Amino acid sequence: MTSSIVRTRRVSGAVVAAACAALVVAGCTSNEPRESEETATGPVTVTENDEPGDEVVIGFSAPAADHGWMGAITSAAKAEAEKYEDVDLQVAEGTNDVNVQISQIEGFIDQGVDAIVLLPFDGAALTDVALEAMEAGIPVINVDREFSSPFAARATVLGDNYGMGVSAGTYVCEQLGDNPDAVVAEIAGIDSLPLTQDRSKGFADALDDCGLDVDARVAAEFTVESGEEQTANLLSAEPKIDAIWNHDDDQGIGVLAAIENAGRDEFFLVGGAGSNNMMEEIQDPESVVKATVIYPSTQAADGVKFARLIAQNKNVSDLASIGVPRTVQLFAPVVTADNVEEYLPIGFDS
Amino acid sequence: MSQRSALMGPALRMGGLVLALILLIVVGVATAGERFWSTGNLITVLSLAAVTGVVSIGMTFVITSGGIDLSVGAVVGLASVWASTLATQYAAEDYGWWVIPVTALAVGLVAGLINGLLVAYGKMPAFMATLAMLAAARGLAEIIAGRQTQIVDVEPFFDVFQARPLGVPTIVWIFVVVAAAGWFLLNRTTFGRRTVAVGGNPEASRLAGIKIKRHTLYLYGLAGLTAGIGAVILLARTTAGSSTHGTLLELDVIAAVVVGGTLLAGGRGTITGTVLGVLIFSTLTNVFVLNNLDSSVQAIAKGAIIVGAVLLQQWFASRERVSTT
Amino acid sequence: MVDVDPSGVEQPLLRMRGIVKEFPGARALDGVDLEVRPGEVHCLLGQNGAGKSTLIKTLAGAHQPTAGEILIDEEPVVIANPVAALRLGIATIYQELDVVDGLTVAENIYLGHELATGGVSRRSEAARNTRKILDRLGHKEISPHREVGSLPAAGKQIVQLARALSRDARVVIMDEPSAVLDSEEVGNLHRIVRELTADGVAVVYISHRLEEIRQLGDRITVLKDGRTVAESLVVADTPTKELIQLMTGRTVEYAFPDRPGVAEDAEPVLEVEDLGLGTVFSDVSLTVRAGEIVGLAGLVGSGRSEILETIYGARRATSGTVRVGGKRLRPGVVDAAVAAGIGLCPEERKSQGLLLDEPVYRNITLSTFSRIARGGLLDEGAERAAAREQVEALDLRPAGVDRNARTLSGGNQQKALLARWLVHGCRVLLLDEPTRGVDVGARSEIYNLIRRLADDGAAVIVVSSEIPEVLGLADRVLVISDGKAVHEGPAREIDEHAVLDLVMEGSVA
Repeated sequence: MTSSIVRTRRVSGAVVAAACAALVVAGCTSNEPRESEETATGPVTVTENDEPGDEVVIGFSAPAADHGWMGAITSAAKAEAEKYEDVDLQVAEGTNDVNVQISQIEGFIDQGVDAIVLLPFDGAALTDVALEAMEAGIPVINVDREFSSPFAARATVLGDNYGMGVSAGTYVCEQLGDNPDAVVAEIAGIDSLPLTQDRSKGFADALDDCGLDVDARVAAEFTVESGEEQTANLLSAEPKIDAIWNHDDDQGIGVLAAIENAGRDEFFLVGGAGSNNMMEEIQDPESVVKATVIYPSTQAADGVKFARLIAQNKNVSDLASIGVPRTVQLFAPVVTADNVEEYLPIGFDS
Repeated sequence: MSQRSALMGPALRMGGLVLALILLIVVGVATAGERFWSTGNLITVLSLAAVTGVVSIGMTFVITSGGIDLSVGAVVGLASVWASTLATQYAAEDYGWWVIPVTALAVGLVAGLINGLLVAYGKMPAFMATLAMLAAARGLAEIIAGRQTQIVDVEPFFDVFQARPLGVPTIVWIFVVVAAAGWFLLNRTTFGRRTVAVGGNPEASRLAGIKIKRHTLYLYGLAGLTAGIGAVILLARTTAGSSTHGTLLELDVIAAVVVGGTLLAGGRGTITGTVLGVLIFSTLTNVFVLNNLDSSVQAIAKGAIIVGAVLLQQWFASRERVSTT
Repeated sequence: MVDVDPSGVEQPLLRMRGIVKEFPGARALDGVDLEVRPGEVHCLLGQNGAGKSTLIKTLAGAHQPTAGEILIDEEPVVIANPVAALRLGIATIYQELDVVDGLTVAENIYLGHELATGGVSRRSEAARNTRKILDRLGHKEISPHREVGSLPAAGKQIVQLARALSRDARVVIMDEPSAVLDSEEVGNLHRIVRELTADGVAVVYISHRLEEIRQLGDRITVLKDGRTVAESLVVADTPTKELIQLMTGRTVEYAFPDRPGVAEDAEPVLEVEDLGLGTVFSDVSLTVRAGEIVGLAGLVGSGRSEILETIYGARRATSGTVRVGGKRLRPGVVDAAVAAGIGLCPEERKSQGLLLDEPVYRNITLSTFSRIARGGLLDEGAERAAAREQVEALDLRPAGVDRNARTLSGGNQQKALLARWLVHGCRVLLLDEPTRGVDVGARSEIYNLIRRLADDGAAVIVVSSEIPEVLGLADRVLVISDGKAVHEGPAREIDEHAVLDLVMEGSVA
């Protein structure tokens, strides 16, 4: 499988050369900004756990970075690993093919890594191979999408999808609570994923608490194009809307474009995930975007940290108990104009 | 008798498509009333049809000639990314908004011509050559974009492409113009005649002195060009370029073209049919969303329409053959 | 009819009586009688187009006869499909060896009747049986596990024979089996045929090589124009001369137009020099002057059609030159040939000539619509007018130019193709089998048309399997045998027998 990936690259390389030559006039493909920006680095808290220990090799596998949030997951994990001189992070090429991902984990087992951080494309499909790793004595840290067996992971770091829905719903309730006839719309992500279903359920439950419900719902595919298409149809279907929750800030670019195209602004929009782009919109009082619900893109970075601690037999410094916890579920806070400054550093680029 | 049925055939087929569209519209009006039958919503339907529609026009030519282009979706993605890099955007700020559409069109055209070279002169089966382009173009788009969404920030570009001359969005006008040009090209020019001839019987066309290799090259170039136009429309609509633009677009496009009555085996093509096919699928999506129905049910309905249309096509074809022998 | 068998005691294994097969617009078989006895080699003789292939396909179950009956062991049978034929014990070995190259010898032999239990093939049993059959054919050296694609033509033929035997065939039909073999292999094939007949199997053997028929055959049935003209002649008692007469004897007379003769000073329009195409043909030189019709006579597979296609550029010549009006053509480029004024009416009208689902007028203007168009815009009015003019001149029926080409009969499709080049205007016209599938009445019209084109100054080459047609129509004749021109001379100075002698001479294995 790896060789085929390499081959695709080589072909595209040839095409780059040919097409570049043909399109000199059109300008090439640089994405370098004109003025170089200072890249902000967050404060690094040093605890005694951060003291170098035994060298650990950590295998890392995640789905293809085909949208901003997933790209941020991998780069945050890499950045985290680089902070430690005792961590050797082996990053497998991101893939949305579960067979390839299974073979990557098998590769890590054969290689005898000290720990594996795994964000599976499909939790259930990767459970068997994770069990295999655990049986081989390699601790597996499961990130974001849960395995179907509790024995398949030593530790699990989860975002809170249900909680995201609840946070978004609660925010909508706070804004509209006094109006039981308010029209609420939802733009979900890929409908077949459990995480989408969890988010929608949390959203519906929270709305139910204040006597509201979802009046219109469409499902996009986490891509800009699908976000635009679904939103355009949604706006056509509902001539007056009071609030929209969009599950994913990556598709949110398309959602905003559709809103702009339709010239609509009678509602407010709540985002999901927490991209820089959406946070900038929140800062703009003219924008329909009033809030977004964080879904941390740093969870794989947490996974790397846990993997290191487990491999080195250390404890989590701010916990009294011994050993790294079995499950950590991250908080899904709502970002609004009031607290956006605080969250900008962990935003990601779509 | 047989002559009449030969003329009636296409009219009947087109009648079936119009009937299907009217049926959908009736369902739309019945279930959603004015939310469906309003200028705003109809413009939404047309706007959403624009990308598939424009690319389907190019695809109609390729399929009529007996070929296939699986790469159009990936080329849309690549062109959208290339035309929205910061380098392109700076150039657009310095020289004018036209840099963006021209870049997208050029990328589409070159990708299409590479397809054409592989098929016509490399003698590769179109299915494989364009499948290779699909993979390569998507990969190249990911490399250029670094798998990030590239937001376009060139206001003059939007001033043009998000405008609404006569109350209708520019991108709908683009669809109308491309469709009209495609109809004219297919039915009224030597280019169109060659396309039908090459699809109907490549050997006979070659022996009649038609330069079929060169024509094949042009055909794939045309398909690439329409993919470039599709990318411009997507840029205007989504305000961003992305390597995920156009994902699986090729399947929607092929479905619309074939449902419209263009023969997958080549030799017969109809732009009117293609436009109707595109509108049927676009209206279907709209009616489903208006009724807040599940997208999975919509996918089933789409499958049923494709099967029904192809069965109907075969039925007409067999009737024609019977009545002419 | 001659029936030479005084005893008549032996009951025929296979008998065909009054077989008629009609295709739309053509009658391929028009009363065929055939009687095959167990253990004999029965030769089927006839010119191209006499109906041999149709007859074989009728026996193999690929065609259903329109009238007549087939009897096996004197019992009437219906051969509904190829599987039914095999079940009745009739196996056919076609000229184009239809074996599956990617499968092994054993797999090929048991193709379609695999030895299997519940879907699992019994490989060892198949291999054992295959070895037994190959042994019987005297080819122990072929391994049952060998891939058939790696065998030479002779080996593939053995595999086909073995397949026939594995089906317990009682009648084996062989369509020109020696055509693909060298002389040593032919000897071997003859030995196998004799062994088969010794076992009581009847062999229906088709060959153009009279010498071979003399060596191998017991009795001969001669076909001509879809009819049996002589049934079950005993080979030893029938002189070659009589056979040729039977094969060529006229049953239908065509009216050929007068030959006005070509002026001595007429300029040479087409000059072909030492043209060759790989191993297909070589060293073909000919010159056609304005107003002249040159005929190419030869058997199917002699390279006639390939010569035309190479002149036209549809195949890239490996040697030699083609000049039109003194200007050399780029080899292998059809549009250059068309631009220089060459037109080709190909042999396979439907697959190479016509857009069947397009209107007649678009077929007629296929090579001229660009020229008629103005600046890339079609002028369909002018196209229709040009087509209508030709349709009237050629009396193409029905006259409507908007009906699809598919609806025309063979003769009218041919006229549409000729009309294409009439609209285009040609200095050189290449006609490959211009009257194939054309009924008798329309033939004379097409002959007249070709002559008129020549009279108007075109240089014409006609290829035909029907020797009388070539001789009657052409001013000069080239006889082609095995990719070589073996004779060139005025058409008046040679007759059909002489041509047949030339064609068959030297090709005996």
